[in-house]
Amino acid sequence: MLKIHGISKSFGGINATNNVSIELKPNSINALIGPNGAGKTTIFNLITGKISVDKGKIFIGENNITNLKETVITHMGIARAFQITNIFPTLSVKESIKMALLAKTHGLNNMWDRFASHSVNEEADNIAKLAGLKKVYNTISSELSHGDQKLLDIALALALKPQVLLLDEPTAGMGPEERWEMIKRIKELWQKTKMTVLFIEHDMDIVFDIAQTIFVLQQGAIIAKGSPKEIKQNQAVIKAYLGGGKK
Amino acid sequence: MEIFALFDCIISPACLISQTAGGLKIGMLLFLVASGLTLVFGVLGVINFAHGALYMLGAYFSWQVMAVTGHFGLAVICGAIGVGIFGLLFERLLINKVYNADLLVQILLCYSVILILDDLVMIIWGDEFLSGIGVPEVFQIPPLFIFDAIIPPFHIAIVVISMIVALLLWLIMTKTKFGKLVRATAVNPKMLEALGVNTNVIKAGVFMLGSFLAGLGGALAASLGSVVSGMGNSIIIESFIVTVIGGMGSIGGAFIASIIIGMARSFGAVAMPLFTDGIMFLIMVLVLIMKPEGLMGKKK
Amino acid sequence: MGFLKQDNFKRDVFLGIVVWLFLLLFFFIVPSAGIHDIIQKVFILGLFAMSLNILIGYLGLIAFGHAAFFAAGAYTLGLFLQSNVVNILGSLSIPIAIISAIFVSTVLAAFIGAICIRLKDIYFSFLTLAFQMLIYSIILALVNITGGDQGLMGGFPKPPFLGIDLGKPFDFYAFTIFISIITIILLRQLIESPFGYGLRMIRDNPERPAALGFNNQRHKLIAFIIAGSIAGLAGSLQALLDVGAYPEWAFWAKSAEPLFMILLGGMHSFLGPIMGAFIFEMLNDFVTANTRYYGLVLGLVILSFVLGLRRGLLDWLLIKFYRK
Ligand SMILES: Nc1ncnc2c1ncn2[C@@H]1O[C@H](COP(=O)(O)OP(=O)(O)OP(=O)(O)O)[C@@H](O)[C@H]1O
Ligand SMILES: [Mg+2]
Repeated sequence: MLKIHGISKSFGGINATNNVSIELKPNSINALIGPNGAGKTTIFNLITGKISVDKGKIFIGENNITNLKETVITHMGIARAFQITNIFPTLSVKESIKMALLAKTHGLNNMWDRFASHSVNEEADNIAKLAGLKKVYNTISSELSHGDQKLLDIALALALKPQVLLLDEPTAGMGPEERWEMIKRIKELWQKTKMTVLFIEHDMDIVFDIAQTIFVLQQGAIIAKGSPKEIKQNQAVIKAYLGGGKK
Repeated sequence: MEIFALFDCIISPACLISQTAGGLKIGMLLFLVASGLTLVFGVLGVINFAHGALYMLGAYFSWQVMAVTGHFGLAVICGAIGVGIFGLLFERLLINKVYNADLLVQILLCYSVILILDDLVMIIWGDEFLSGIGVPEVFQIPPLFIFDAIIPPFHIAIVVISMIVALLLWLIMTKTKFGKLVRATAVNPKMLEALGVNTNVIKAGVFMLGSFLAGLGGALAASLGSVVSGMGNSIIIESFIVTVIGGMGSIGGAFIASIIIGMARSFGAVAMPLFTDGIMFLIMVLVLIMKPEGLMGKKK
Repeated sequence: MGFLKQDNFKRDVFLGIVVWLFLLLFFFIVPSAGIHDIIQKVFILGLFAMSLNILIGYLGLIAFGHAAFFAAGAYTLGLFLQSNVVNILGSLSIPIAIISAIFVSTVLAAFIGAICIRLKDIYFSFLTLAFQMLIYSIILALVNITGGDQGLMGGFPKPPFLGIDLGKPFDFYAFTIFISIITIILLRQLIESPFGYGLRMIRDNPERPAALGFNNQRHKLIAFIIAGSIAGLAGSLQALLDVGAYPEWAFWAKSAEPLFMILLGGMHSFLGPIMGAFIFEMLNDFVTANTRYYGLVLGLVILSFVLGLRRGLLDWLLIKFYRK
């Protein structure tokens, strides 16, 4: 589904991404892990065109999307949620989701209808249900709990009906219980929508629980990839990552 | 448009020299005011729209001291210091309330102060033009003739005074402890606070210094022309131009930009007398389009 | 009357007509030329302020050169009506002059906007200011055409059209308010449309929309152009009212006026800016009648709004009595 061929990116001499190749199968759920500053978010930024690639190529299906504009790549079926929640503070949950739905169909150029009574209401309803945001549907985003803000960020991505969904630390800043709830929700989403999911996560229990394939990143390079079982036994990973004492 | 007039001027030593000298005088006077504006922006992050009103106050203060004492030097110094103190009050009472506010709020706050001060000086000093404080006696001597160019000695004095101020400003900012603290405040105020430095004092000090510079510019302007309410409303725009062209927050950039604007005005008056202001704005537009961070500003 | 509760175009048109008819009636109930003049001005300045609030309140862009478009509209209308074209067009002159004024300010806004929207924050503000002052300088320089610092003098004819004679106070009053109300209804539609919500989205978080496949820049430019064209319309109405155009309308201080109105009335309520225009005009009228020191009073009022109320009056009222 998503193929990344040897991409590299350096920021002023520092190789934040170093010859990284990743391939995601259709309808798979995958994890990207690595210590802080390993370059995980940078890879998401490269895939989505938020920053430009120095070297290498990125494909979605058959289409080469390397260094296309972020807006164009989004329309080609890649959506993301951010590590630091990235939502619209004064819009309600419902309004935010509708905005994402309209953005997808270029419906925001419409000056002749009223946004409030616009036809995407039903779809927005469904997305909110899917993301578990129905109970706070009419709440203003800035007044949501942290967990709901994270969910809204994901819901915005879902509204784009992507083929590939990138989730950057969906459980960041949550307590243990909340985390598992979020993960359950993501798993459900993935099963229901048949998307290809790539998520970044620091909690190993979660990663081993739901990821089919795991990519381990260290200092910008992939040092291992494989199923949870393979990764658990991989010496390089144990040494570099799990053995370090820090999760 | 009189391109030929400009050409004629450039090949005539008399015109070239007198226009250059004139440009230098305009530019250096502008630098005094604009350096205060850019300093305040660089450190406090506030666009002090009322900076021109402080300049006006400097002119009125010095006029008042001149009227009472008749001493030119005292008038200029009191004008500048008076505005410095006024600036301190302004910062403590009003400006510090909007440090973290929107740009719009800052603009409106400053603009309300302009409106208030413009009327207050009229209430106190009347709404007639006051004839300026004039040139001190020592400079009431025949002008210099260089290649037939007429250069009033007092203009030279103004340029020299401004150069000295520029030099002092540079020394303060680079060589003194205060300067180091100011630069650190501009970069990372949180860090300084963590180290136990009271950044409020530094901010107030910077604002006072900036106001002092505006006041000094106004006092000197009072010696060259008349004093009137609203006289700050065009210098503030010119100071913005200088600040933008030089790079916002850069005093060195303001120095260069002031000279550029001074020359543009001086030679522009020869080439396009009706469009002299337009030339400045054209330069400002071009700089913002091609290099928004200005000649010497830091790229964001 | 159930449909009044619904927020839609039909309701707005209905309310617009009601307000218009009421104000026409008011003209005869209170036959004071001074008050009629204030009402006209409130609408003209209100349009100017509301157009700027598209950028400030809904898009979060502090444009500081908005008077450029106001002046462009005013001068275009004035020059058009002073030209010989009037003899040929006859009774069509005024409508075509207004359309030309809107057209010129729209083109100008497209040009200036395309360059300005690439910059952010204070740089955007400064560039809009610089363009406005450039236009001010051009107006002063082109003495032969614009009358330089004297302004567009000598007046111009106002040929009647469709039975409307703008030379008559009532016709002018009814016409100005009518045009303003139509524009306000259309603006309301724009602000409440998906397009309008796109503006709020950019204001709220300019980074995120790209990841939704949404192009901020294009949206910003369209909004800038629309704001400029409405400012041009306001300028043309002002020129019709004053039978002339003045360079001060292009000076930076003129751009501060709608900022005051937005501040006084409120930037987060649709009708805030026109309420601000009302406060501004009342203040103007009341204060200048009693003291020469208008600036002092206005300054103190603005100061108390900035530091005291911290929001416009209508915003404040709505929060206090309506939302929670
Ligand atoms: N736009 C940028 N400019 C310069 N350096 C950057 C930029 N983005 C990321 N970096 C650097 O690249 C490296 C990788 O950053 P990245 O955010 O991708 O790490 P990460 O793996 O997501 O870490 P974390 O787990 O903390 O989120 C870091 O050293 C970071 O400072
Ligand atoms: Mg990260």
